[in-house]
Amino acid sequence: MVDKKNNLKFKTKNVSVFYGSKQAINKISLDIEEKQITALIGPSGCGKSTFLRCLNRMNDVISNCSVNGKILLDGNNIYSDEIDPVLLRAKVGMVFQKPNPFPKSIFENIAYGPRIHGIGNNRAELTDLVHHSLEQAGLIDEVKDRLDDIATGLSGGQQQRICIARAIAVNPDVILMDEPCSALDPIATAKIEELMSSLSKSYTIIIVTHSMQQAGRVSQKTAFFHMGDLIEYGETPKIFTQPDQQKTQDYITGRFG
Amino acid sequence: MSFSTLLLLIIAFSLCSFFFSSSSAFKKIKSATSRPSALPKHYGQYSLAWTLFPAFLLLIVFTIIGPIYVDNFFKQQIALTEASYDKAKIELILAMIKNISNGSISSDEPKILKLADEYSNYLSKIYLFRTLSVLLLSSILGIIISSNINILKNSRVKVETFYRILFFVSAVIAIFTTVGIIASLLYESLRFFALYPFFDFLFGLHWAPNIAIRSDQVAAQGSFGMLPVLLGTILVALIAMIVALPIGLFSAIYLAEFASKRVRDIIKPTLEVLAGIPTVVYGYFAALTAAPFIRKIGMTLGLDVSSESALAAGAVMGIMIIPFISSLSDDIINSVPQSLRDGSLGLGATKAETTIKVVLPAAFPGLVGAFLLAVSRAIGETMIVVMAAGLSANLTINPLETVTTVTVQIVSLLTGDTEFDDIKTLSAFGLGLALFAFTLILNVIALVVSRRLSEQYD
Repeated sequence: MVDKKNNLKFKTKNVSVFYGSKQAINKISLDIEEKQITALIGPSGCGKSTFLRCLNRMNDVISNCSVNGKILLDGNNIYSDEIDPVLLRAKVGMVFQKPNPFPKSIFENIAYGPRIHGIGNNRAELTDLVHHSLEQAGLIDEVKDRLDDIATGLSGGQQQRICIARAIAVNPDVILMDEPCSALDPIATAKIEELMSSLSKSYTIIIVTHSMQQAGRVSQKTAFFHMGDLIEYGETPKIFTQPDQQKTQDYITGRFG
Repeated sequence: MSFSTLLLLIIAFSLCSFFFSSSSAFKKIKSATSRPSALPKHYGQYSLAWTLFPAFLLLIVFTIIGPIYVDNFFKQQIALTEASYDKAKIELILAMIKNISNGSISSDEPKILKLADEYSNYLSKIYLFRTLSVLLLSSILGIIISSNINILKNSRVKVETFYRILFFVSAVIAIFTTVGIIASLLYESLRFFALYPFFDFLFGLHWAPNIAIRSDQVAAQGSFGMLPVLLGTILVALIAMIVALPIGLFSAIYLAEFASKRVRDIIKPTLEVLAGIPTVVYGYFAALTAAPFIRKIGMTLGLDVSSESALAAGAVMGIMIIPFISSLSDDIINSVPQSLRDGSLGLGATKAETTIKVVLPAAFPGLVGAFLLAVSRAIGETMIVVMAAGLSANLTINPLETVTTVTVQIVSLLTGDTEFDDIKTLSAFGLGLALFAFTLILNVIALVVSRRLSEQYD
């Protein structure tokens, strides 16, 4: 199956996820466009994070989790047997809710991915790559003099940008962000949002967020999840101003959630 | 009344005071208009504590001090009647008196019999006094406290204080016993070092404690250089760690990172069974199975293996330590946050890469601590080496030869009929002190290393 529109990155068809016998999401079909920011919003437990983790098969880590349906990345089903989840995750990077830099130096954190994938054969190339990634993550001025310091000693916002730089360093196509700002203060959040906008020129970004304002500020498209169902998906301004569904209207106006 | 009867009685008293106080507090709280500061059970606990603990302390004090006091009193009595007796003689007579008064021996000397009679009278008076004072204290405190329940006073705070004191005392008792053990070890060791030069003991290359068979035998002075014994200990422990560390650590990694829940549920209890085998069983496994097996293999390879080799003892000790290392390491590896694994996997690292490059470095401080604890355990282990390592103190690092260890020497020096003022017997305490110092240093290193490293990784 080849998509006619070539600016589609992900195409999902009837994706359902079960944890044991409990169904977490129900037949989600969603197309995600390239080099844009797509926001997934919805109340807690609506399945938005679960859906996000399907896109780079991070759900494989959870032992009793099973995924049905099709997820096509550039036209290839990522759940087919030929796909190696390890290579997939190099293409579809992820930034987590809580900043989780490794307890290593800043340099080693960024160089970790490239080393694993054999990018950057010598020290000079690797150093260039680390600098470039930190630059893209808008962090270079803050840390360039202390690349050998332990990354866990940085502030929360800096740690999260380290995690973004770390994901960029392996040169992915897509970056998944699972509530990347929920542990950060407003100033750090603003920096990350700014960063997302500039990154979306070169990467496809999919972000799960609790904050509707954030979704409104950064994303071009928004999907609203509720109780494991995809209620509505469309252009962000439209979702926030004139949604088609009553449930969406109720959620964005704060009547529940 | 005996100690246990008294104890049971005051426990019964305090339970009564608990129920009485809590029910009285309950009634008062029910009829009170203002909000009470504590629950009925707090008043009960408060009154229980006052009924039980002071009386219990008094009981302990009487039980310890009473007999000492009586003994001293009688020593004075004996010294007064027979001025010519020296200290040892007085002790002897006192022992006789005691034995007669509790009926284990008899005597026909009227003087002694009279003293024995007086002794038992005196002791029973002391015990009667103990009974009365303990019961009186318990009941008076119980009645006063439980009949004066004032729900406006906050007994919760006081109960809290009681708990704090209780836990503090427990901690102090643990520390004092440790100090006591070290003190007795030090005292006996000092007696040994008075007879044998300290540095000769520490750096001597020859260990030969000749054991005199008869007390009048003219035995050689004996030589107490501990280095061969220490080297044997280190050799056996080293072999044990070479066996236990990789197997224990790798099995822990498998259990924590790779095994499915089903496999884990089977392997973990199995490893724990290994930990439950008594060391004496490991001992004869080493002596009867492992040692001959190693000897046979050695012979086919043309090596000269002694029948009690360091290798056999060390290997079996290693097997014994595997579950220790693996269960400690499993806990440590499991305590590495899942978010670090997710981060690494999310970058496209495989499970093995994640484990080696992220999880193990993060767990490293804890693992070092676990490893050094295991080393101290290997060094202090006794039963396996007693049965499988042998007695001759060879200064060697050849694992195929017989070596002896500190613990084996201590056992052989102190078992059977021994004289505790003999240099051979006392040398066991010197060895004990050396062993204690050695494991203490290891534990301190473990503590410092893991603290230093975890600062780095925080």
